[in-house]
Amino acid sequence: MALTTEERRRLEDKAHELRLLSVDTVAWAGSGHVGGSMSAMDIMTILYHKYMRVDPKDPAKPDRDRFILSKGHVGVGYAPLLADLGYFDKELLREYNHTGSPLGMHLDSNKVRGVEASTGSLGHGLAIGLGMALGARLRGEAWKTFVLLGDGECDEGAVWESAMAAAHFKATNLITVVDRNHCMIDGPTEDVMALEPFADKWRAFGFEVIEADGHDFDALASAIERAMAATDKPVVIIADTIKGCGIDFIAGDYKWHYGGFDAEKLAKAKESLGLYHESRLAKGAER
Amino acid sequence: MGDDELYASRIFLGAALPLLKVLAVDHAGVRKGFAGKSGAVQVSALTGGREAVYGAPKIGAHFVVENGELRFEKGLAEGPDIELEFKSVAALNGFFSGKAMKLPRIRGALAKPGLLVATFKGLLAMSAALGATEPPAAEAERELVVKLYFYLLSSGISQLNKAGHPDVARWVAASPDRVYAWSVEGKPELSAYLRLKAGNSRAARGVYERSKPFFTMSFDSTESALGILMSIDDMVEATKAGRIIMKGAPEYGAAIGEYMMLVGAYAK
Amino acid sequence: MSGLTFTMLDTAKMSTAEIYGQALCGLGEEHPEIVGLSADLAKSTKIGAFGEKFPDRFFNVGIAEQNMFGMAAGLAKAGLVPYVSTFAIFTAMRGLDQVHTDICYQNLDVKMIATHAGLSFGQAGTTHHCTEDIAIMRSMANLTVVVPADGVETANAVRAAYERKGPVYIRINRGFDQVVYDGPDYGFEIGKAVTMRDGTDLTVIACGSTVWRAVEAAAMLEKSDGLKVRVLNMHTIKPIDAEAIERAVRETRRIITVEDHSVVGGLGGAVAEVAAGTGKSFSFKRLGVPDCFSIIGLHEDLLAHYGIDENGIAAAVREMMGKDFEADDDWEDEV
Repeated sequence: MALTTEERRRLEDKAHELRLLSVDTVAWAGSGHVGGSMSAMDIMTILYHKYMRVDPKDPAKPDRDRFILSKGHVGVGYAPLLADLGYFDKELLREYNHTGSPLGMHLDSNKVRGVEASTGSLGHGLAIGLGMALGARLRGEAWKTFVLLGDGECDEGAVWESAMAAAHFKATNLITVVDRNHCMIDGPTEDVMALEPFADKWRAFGFEVIEADGHDFDALASAIERAMAATDKPVVIIADTIKGCGIDFIAGDYKWHYGGFDAEKLAKAKESLGLYHESRLAKGAER
Repeated sequence: MGDDELYASRIFLGAALPLLKVLAVDHAGVRKGFAGKSGAVQVSALTGGREAVYGAPKIGAHFVVENGELRFEKGLAEGPDIELEFKSVAALNGFFSGKAMKLPRIRGALAKPGLLVATFKGLLAMSAALGATEPPAAEAERELVVKLYFYLLSSGISQLNKAGHPDVARWVAASPDRVYAWSVEGKPELSAYLRLKAGNSRAARGVYERSKPFFTMSFDSTESALGILMSIDDMVEATKAGRIIMKGAPEYGAAIGEYMMLVGAYAK
Repeated sequence: MSGLTFTMLDTAKMSTAEIYGQALCGLGEEHPEIVGLSADLAKSTKIGAFGEKFPDRFFNVGIAEQNMFGMAAGLAKAGLVPYVSTFAIFTAMRGLDQVHTDICYQNLDVKMIATHAGLSFGQAGTTHHCTEDIAIMRSMANLTVVVPADGVETANAVRAAYERKGPVYIRINRGFDQVVYDGPDYGFEIGKAVTMRDGTDLTVIACGSTVWRAVEAAAMLEKSDGLKVRVLNMHTIKPIDAEAIERAVRETRRIITVEDHSVVGGLGGAVAEVAAGTGKSFSFKRLGVPDCFSIIGLHEDLLAHYGIDENGIAAAVREMMGKDFEADDDWEDEV
C-alpha cells in the first residue's frame, strides 16, 4: 500500500527528529557510531512507526513484533528511537556511555527496556532472530521478527549459517534487512572484503531479495510489505544507504564509522541535517 | 615382653614425672608448695650393670622451677639443686609404681628444703590422683584427674614407641600420618592427642587443630572418663550406653584401648 | 520429581548419552516448551531420541554450531527451553562467542549438553577431544557447570537443569561409562558434592568419569594400605561446593583432584581457588591431562596413560601420604 502524503510527512519528520536526537546523544556520550546510525535511521523509523506492533508500556507483551539490531554498535541511533517511543526516559540519553549508565556503546537487553537482544558482537542477530521466528511458529504465534544487519557484518560466516538455516526452515516470519552503506571501519566494503555480487549471494542461499533505496520511505514501505507477506522463502531487503547520510561533512565517508562532535561540529551537523530534511520533504512533495 | 624395666622407666620419667607441671598449675596444694621457689630438680637412676641397655651410667629427667613455674627439660642437668638419685632403674620403677617404698638418695635437701618438700608434695599428689580407685566427688578434681590420665596415656604410648616396645613400635611404624585424640565432650581444655607417622610419634596437650583426628575417644562426662580410666566401667557397656563415643574407625579404637591398658600396666 | 522410565537393567546396557536421550524424552513429555537442537550430531549425541519422539520440536541445523547456539538463544527468548547438544569441543570453542554473549550474558534458559568430553572420544584425536572446556565454561558468568559421574547422574542433571533458572552446561562422555549409582535417589543437588566414601587420611575430589575410578582406588587403598581416603564426587564445578572443600582441607589436610581434563584451570583449579582461600596449609595435587594435546587411543588406555585411572590415583595418594608437612622434624613429646 502506497504511503499517503501525511504518512510520508510524519515519517520524514520523525526520522529527522531522531537524527537530531542521535547526534545529540553522540555528543553527550562523547563519541559514537554516528555513520551507521544515520544510514540506518530511516529503516528503523519506518519499522517502528508504521509496521511493528509494539507497546512501549509493556515491553514483554507476548505477541509483540521483535526487532533485533544485529549491527548492535549503532546504539546511539537506536536508543533515541526507543526513548522517543517511551520505553525509557529521554533524559537517560544524556548519560549515554557514562560510568554506571544502563546505556552504553552496545545496548544491553538486560538493562534497556525495548532491546530484544544484547548485540554488538557481529553476526549473532540473524541466528537469534531465526530462533525467535521458529519459536513463534512452534507456539502458533503470529508476531514477526525483524533483523537489521550491517553489510560489513555479512563477512561473518555465522550470518550465512543462519541464512542457510532460515531458508531451510522456511522462516518466512523472519524479515531481514541489510543496511548496505558500503562502508566499514578500514574502508569501503568492496576494498576490504568484497561482498558483490551481494544480492546473488542471498538468492543462492534461498532468500527472496528485494533491493530498495534505504532513504526512500515509499521504497522501504513497498519492500517491507512484500516481505511481511512472504510465504515461500524468507525475504532479505538490501537497503542501499549512505553512511552518515544527512550530515554533509561525514556522508559517504567510511572514516566516520565512529566519531565525536565538539560544539562547533555539532551545530554544523544539525544545520546540515536541517537542510537534508528540507531536501527530503521537497523530494517527497514531488510524488 | 622386651625390656619391661626399660619401658617402665621411660613411662615414669617421660610421661608421669612431667605431670608435675600440670599439678603445679591446677592443684592448689602443689601450687602453693612451689610458689616463689626456684631451682632445678632432677630424678635419676644409676644403670649399674645395665649400662649397655640404657646407653649411659645414669638416666633421668629434670625440671627447672622459676618462681613457682615448672619447665621440663631433656636428659640430665649439669648441677641440679635437688636430685633424687635411685640406686637402680628397678628401684626408680618400684618407687613410682608404689610397689617399693625405698627412698632415693637425696641431694640438696639442706640448700633448698622448700623445693624438695614441694617436689615430694607434687609426687604424692600425683600418686593420690592416679592411684584413686573411685572418681573424686568434685567436678574440678575430676577434671584434673582426667587431664592427668589423658596426658599420661598419650605420652606413655609415645614413650613406648620411642623405647622400641615391639607391639607399639610396629603399629606406629606402619601408620600413615594420623592423629589419635582423647577428649571429654564440651571440655576441650582437658584434651590430649598423639600424632603418629611412619615410626615417629609425638604426644601433645590440647586439641589438634590442623586436621580432623583420625580417631577420637570421647567421653560424655568426666565421670564416664574416669569410669573407664580407673577400670571401674566396662568398655563395651560404656560404648553401648554412649558414655564413650568412638569417633572414627572402631577397629582403631580397639588398638588404642589396648595400648592405653599397656601403659597402665607398666605404670601401676 | 517423577522416576526414570526405564529399568536398571536397561541402564546397564545403555551408554551415558543414551540415558540422557531417554531422560530428555521423559522431560519433554512433561514440559511442552522443551525443544532440542543438534548440529548434525543427533545420532552421536543421542538427542536424536528426542528428535524422533518430537520431530517438530527438534531442530537439526547441520554443521553450523554458531548458528545453533544463536538460534537456541532466540528460541529461549521466545519462551521455549532449548536443550542443545553437540560435542564439548564445539560447544566450548566453535560456538563460544554465542554461548558467552547470546546465552550467558543474557542469562537465558538454554541447557547445553556437551558430549564426548575429555579424552572419551579417544581414537578421534585432539580435534575431537576437549580437555579445556571446564576451564573455559566455569569462567563464564551466569553459567552453571555440571559434570555427571555416570548415566544415572546425567539423567538427574538433565532434570535439575530444567528446574534451574539460567544457562546450564552439562558435560558428559561419549558413553559406556562405569555405573556409579544404583538409582537416582542418592541426593543429587546442583552445587552439593556427594561423599562417595568418608575418611580423614586424604581427600580425592573427582568429577565425571574419574569418580568411579577414585572410588575404586580408595577401596584398593583401604584394603592394601589401610588408608581411609575420602572421595568426593564434585559433580557441580560451578557453583562449586566450597563448604565440602573447606571441610576436606580442615579435616584431612591432603587433597588430590582428578579429572578427565587438563590440569590447568579445570576442577583442580577450581578446588585450589577455594582451598587456598581457607588460609590453612594443606598438601595438594592435581591429576589430569598434563597440559599437552593428547595421544590417540581407547578412553581407558588414555586415562591410564595420563595417570587418571584407579592405579594412577592410588599411586598419587601413596606418594602424598609419604610427603612431610612443614615442621615435621619435632617429634618430642610435649612436657
